Amino acid sequence: MKTTIQEQDGKMVAILAGSLDTAAAPETEKAMSPLNDVEGKDIIIDCTELEYISSAGLRIFLGILQNVEEKGGHVYIKGINENVRTIFTITGFSNIFKFM
Amino acid sequence: MKLDMHCEMILDKYRKKLPVFEKLRSIVTERLQQYLDENHIIVAGIDSRIKTEQSLTGKLELKGYKYHSLDDITDILGVRIITFFSDEVDVIAAIAEKLFEIDWDNTVDKRKMLEIDRFGYMSLHYICRLPKTLYEDPAMPELNEIRFELQMRSTLQHVWANMQHDMGYKTDVEIPREYQRSMTRLAGILELADEQFSQIRKDITEYRRKVQSLVASGNFDEVPFNGDTFRSFIALNPFRRLVDKMANINHAEVYDDSLMPYFNVLLLLKMETIGDVVRMRNDYSDSAYQLALVQLAGTGLDILASSIALQNLCIVYILKKGFGEAGLVRMFDTLYGKNDYNVQSAERIFKQAHRVNII
Repeated sequence: MKTTIQEQDGKMVAILAGSLDTAAAPETEKAMSPLNDVEGKDIIIDCTELEYISSAGLRIFLGILQNVEEKGGHVYIKGINENVRTIFTITGFSNIFKFM
Repeated sequence: MKLDMHCEMILDKYRKKLPVFEKLRSIVTERLQQYLDENHIIVAGIDSRIKTEQSLTGKLELKGYKYHSLDDITDILGVRIITFFSDEVDVIAAIAEKLFEIDWDNTVDKRKMLEIDRFGYMSLHYICRLPKTLYEDPAMPELNEIRFELQMRSTLQHVWANMQHDMGYKTDVEIPREYQRSMTRLAGILELADEQFSQIRKDITEYRRKVQSLVASGNFDEVPFNGDTFRSFIALNPFRRLVDKMANINHAEVYDDSLMPYFNVLLLLKMETIGDVVRMRNDYSDSAYQLALVQLAGTGLDILASSIALQNLCIVYILKKGFGEAGLVRMFDTLYGKNDYNVQSAERIFKQAHRVNII
């Protein structure tokens, strides 16, 4: 599992590649933790190369969303594949996040 | 025009006392804002100003003879609270009476001064002092002695005052006679609009109270389906049992998210009363659960958004009513905007529903 954080056009972008399963979750959470310090910027989670997401991964996404919304920002999910999208749909998480 | 010695003395005292006025201004506005915040009262704005030396000089030139000392000029510090609605002005007045000492001898309700053949749209002005119970500084005893003016007016009263001021007239009597009729008509419109806004707000509050009581009493067929009633309905947690049952599939944690995005979906499904939503829940909860079972069992996904129950209920309703895959695409388009995933999701869910005999 690879996580890259970079700034693009005034937004923070987290690029995830691989399988975000329970085993990979702690390391990914740590890699994404700088997003919790972001003030006044929207966050894009680029899932183009994300193959799978577990409940632990959904919890990481939810934590980021709650933190950003508290500061008045938004979180967008980009480039999600059908497999990951299905997980979002059957858990109701597609009702929580915005997709682009 | 040169000021006489008496007025010069008043002006000199004003210059010396400016720091006290600044301090008073900050305390008064802070305490007012604090009280409003603590009582969850939202106003359109709080302004304050200290009369400039130029403005005071002008006042002294015109009527300096009226004032024995600076203390007689009660509007050196002016604070203004602008409310959204005209009936809130009296609420703010009551707060001012609670917070400050009111100099009733010099306080006039200008709203009541208008004669029937005069026009204008005036605010309520109180002459106040800061009581020691609210703030005391032994190094600055004048803080509790100086009087200041508190103006309270509605947003439309503020509009009127600003327009009149912008046109260069401080009072209605100064307006040239040929324009008085136009100004009277305008003042009447604003006053009527202010009253109407207050009345509409009262009516809406009354309507909401009535609807909440109908929802709470369970007379759902009598409750029309709209944004207000749906909000009251979901506050009763009507899908909780189904959410918990779905969560039990994987012993999942439930994250409570908003159900309001489904308002537009339910509109699309032509729900006319809250009773229709209740019937959908009662008739299709088993099928919605079966759909969740086929989707979640064996996945190990142990976190769910609470909206999953209403999501699956809407899916089942659409399929049972024969709207098919196209109906599911419309539902997802309504929720997430048009995109290719909606078509893919609809196809997949349609197949799953087939497998558990929903269709």
